[in-house]
Amino acid sequence: MITLLKNAKVIDPANHKDGVVQDIYIRDGRIIAKPADSEKIGQVHDLNGKIVMAGAIDMHSHIGGGKVNIARMLLPEYQAMRRLEEPEAHICGANCSHHATPNTTDTGMRYIEMGYTAAFEPAILAVNARQAHMEMGDTPMIDKGGYAMLGNDDYFLRLLSQNADQKTINDYVAWTLHATQTIGIKVVNPGGISAFKFNERRQDLDQQHSHYHITPRRILQALSRAVNEIGIAKPLHVHCNNLGVAGNFQTTLDTMGASDGLPMHLTHIQFHSYGTEGDKKFSSAAANIAEAINSNKHITADVGQILFGQTVTASGDNMMQHLNAKVANPKKSVIMDIECDAGCGVVPFKYRDQNYVNALQWAIGLEVFLSVDDPWRVFLTTDHPNGAPFTSYPHLIRLLMDKTFRNDAFDKLNLDAQAMSNLKSLDREYSLYEIATMTRSAPAKLIGLQDRGHLGVGAAADITVYTDQADKEAMFAKPDLVFKDGELVVKEGKVVKVVWGATHTAKPAFDVGVEKDIKQYFDRYHTMQMNNFKISNDHIAEDGRNHVINHAQG
Amino acid sequence: MTNQQDSMHACPACGLLCDDISGDAIARQQFSCGKAAKFYARVSTGAQPQIAGRAASLTDAVAAAVAVLKQANTPLVAGSSTDVHGARALVRLAQHTGAAMTHMNASSTLRNMKVLQHRGWQTTTLTEVRNRADVILMIGTDVVTHNTRFFDRVVWVDDAMFTDPAARKIIYLGGDKLSTKPGISPDGRAPEVIACAAEHLPEVVATLRALVMDKPVTVASVAGIAVSTLKTLADTLKAAKYATLVWVSKDLHYDHAELTIENITETVVALNQKSRAMGLSMGGSDGDTSVNYAHTWLNGVIIDAPEWESHDAVVWVNSYSPDAMPPAGTGPVIVLGAPDSQFDVTPAVFIPVATPGLDCNGQQFRVDGSVTLPLTAAKPSDLPTLSQVVALIEAQLQGDLA
Repeated sequence: MITLLKNAKVIDPANHKDGVVQDIYIRDGRIIAKPADSEKIGQVHDLNGKIVMAGAIDMHSHIGGGKVNIARMLLPEYQAMRRLEEPEAHICGANCSHHATPNTTDTGMRYIEMGYTAAFEPAILAVNARQAHMEMGDTPMIDKGGYAMLGNDDYFLRLLSQNADQKTINDYVAWTLHATQTIGIKVVNPGGISAFKFNERRQDLDQQHSHYHITPRRILQALSRAVNEIGIAKPLHVHCNNLGVAGNFQTTLDTMGASDGLPMHLTHIQFHSYGTEGDKKFSSAAANIAEAINSNKHITADVGQILFGQTVTASGDNMMQHLNAKVANPKKSVIMDIECDAGCGVVPFKYRDQNYVNALQWAIGLEVFLSVDDPWRVFLTTDHPNGAPFTSYPHLIRLLMDKTFRNDAFDKLNLDAQAMSNLKSLDREYSLYEIATMTRSAPAKLIGLQDRGHLGVGAAADITVYTDQADKEAMFAKPDLVFKDGELVVKEGKVVKVVWGATHTAKPAFDVGVEKDIKQYFDRYHTMQMNNFKISNDHIAEDGRNHVINHAQG
Repeated sequence: MTNQQDSMHACPACGLLCDDISGDAIARQQFSCGKAAKFYARVSTGAQPQIAGRAASLTDAVAAAVAVLKQANTPLVAGSSTDVHGARALVRLAQHTGAAMTHMNASSTLRNMKVLQHRGWQTTTLTEVRNRADVILMIGTDVVTHNTRFFDRVVWVDDAMFTDPAARKIIYLGGDKLSTKPGISPDGRAPEVIACAAEHLPEVVATLRALVMDKPVTVASVAGIAVSTLKTLADTLKAAKYATLVWVSKDLHYDHAELTIENITETVVALNQKSRAMGLSMGGSDGDTSVNYAHTWLNGVIIDAPEWESHDAVVWVNSYSPDAMPPAGTGPVIVLGAPDSQFDVTPAVFIPVATPGLDCNGQQFRVDGSVTLPLTAAKPSDLPTLSQVVALIEAQLQGDLA
């Protein structure tokens, strides 16, 4: 059956279309060229010039895995029962969630209602990948995928400290992608999670790891080179050293140079853009960071905007979260060392607009957004749920698109923080085309999803239809229609059909001989068999709903 | 890869989930663990659905279960001894029937959850302990009563990356009827045993926490233990490279035992200000971790404690504990469970289902929570899985509604 979207006002940066009115034809879940007149059109939606974009893609959102589930457990005082309506009730019945840490059903439902059709879990502990995939498999409506964490696992650190050749490292990295069914590689506080286990409390970029005698810079070099040489699209996803520390912007700037010019993505960069100026020794370094991004073309970044309210932060960075636990609100936290593989830290935060640091964090994120020139290299994230829940994206989009709205919000901030920010001098207002770039075309390109994030012939028919409104928050909160793989799944902001999406992976070729040494390591030091560490396609497809879509690389 | 590797099974008989069980060991019934031996000796053949104790077809038994559920106003899904797939099916069944859901280990699980939700904690996992722990303090437990191979698999291992496994210091603090022999090192070094009854652990652990935090303690002894002994213990923990404080919530079965657990985990928090230490919660059985976790990601909340008196029908799942049944007087009971179930009181409906890891494949969480292992059918049978039976029940419930 062919579905026709008539008179669509297309905003599709990947195909350089900015408001072109055209018809879109869909068959078997794909966008097709205009069919012959003899072919039957099954369903017609006359859009009368409504805005049409590809489904949005969240390239960094903590939606599944051990630390997310701990975050769900941690705040019973904020949980409330809701009674849902069909068809949502069909799969979730009585539903109970805190909005910052939704259950898997809520996660899929809230994403699709905003016109998002894919989300990527950015911190999959390799040893915990099976759980992450089980949770993502229970997340309806959207496509999923993840980045596997390396760089604090003892196997890799042993390789580096023993001066293993780059080929061995490349094979191990590729093996990890296969074993964990992921599409990218992430490093969190390079070397720092491991160093914390040896009672170190900070790990600087050029400071030697106390046990392995290698530096985070060396870890970044080896991993960014591996990711580049095995040929996956997604650049190394880097959570820098010194998360959240005043003065950490210098570490962030130095990190940009650590890959020797190879592509690198710096994640939730807002949390890494802090200076030490002013009476409170905490200031914005957004201008320095944005300038460096603008001039270093190999660098991309997502922002990790904070928005005010209660949330739970969930990070692999147990070293820094152990420090942050002192300012937890409510006062509780979970810190874990995990399997000689990684760690995690789950700490509730309440961001308040009258708190100096929080107010400045809010401003710093927006300063970065508005000061980075190229929307292909800066991504719209709140590091869900760490800066704010993903459900606040429409609000964030309005802050970017509406200067008056933004400045009114700024005027309500802690006065000392206002004095330390240049936000009001930034006149930029993002266009719909730029928003479409940073939420559709650019993430698809970055991750290597050739058939997503655009509306060209052959693309998957993940499509969102909006009514253009002056209030961009209202516009992006409630699309008119959302199509997932060609099926109409959301009408007037409400789910009308439940679908399950797929899991995107990258499986570059590698020398399987690397497994011999990995197996020896498992047998010698681990508490599980190597074979049980590996996740098969069948495990992803378990219970019959999910399936793997592997993306050819190179 | 060799066939032998492919035939290794993970054993779901306890939360340790040892995944080195060869098909050969199962065939010959050669195990170093009594729980595994008992599990793999189970026989699934010949089991048949029953209605009120009389043999019935699967179709009729499903219809009878549906009839019970339709008459019930407040059903309860309980026992829940299954794996992740089974947990998903039970959560769905509970949602469709408006049932509450609990697990046969809810009281011990919730003891831990109260601490997590009140203060959080700082914990570690088995491979970290295996490679790092130089001091292991077992509080109120010998662990091996629950996890027989804990010392073989985690403590007295041949190799560790960052410590000499044979030189580890093992200390038992309090507990009833402990088996401390497994704590003897391979070269015959005895563990330190600081004895007190489990019921005295609240004051003993509180004192240890105070000493670790350098708070003044004015008494000379607590529950018969000299404070100087506890001071030495506190100093040992502080001096350790990676102290591991182990508890089993099932062994702390007195009123408000969660406060003892919190004193253990807050001792760890205090140690971590200057040195490195971590908590390790052991025990676990009947897929309790899997069911609580899956319930949390599917519903957004942890499992409930059972309130038997407020329910007028029970769906009981006992896949890993064929002897376990709900308390007498609850009813009617629908058992979707172990084919070798033992009933003192005949249930209204009994539908034998495949046991994950024995009759069918599955996935199970290990007790330390971060590792999930695939379960493989050690002795494949054609019994329906729990998910399949729940799907049949749901289809008929929906069909009747339509």
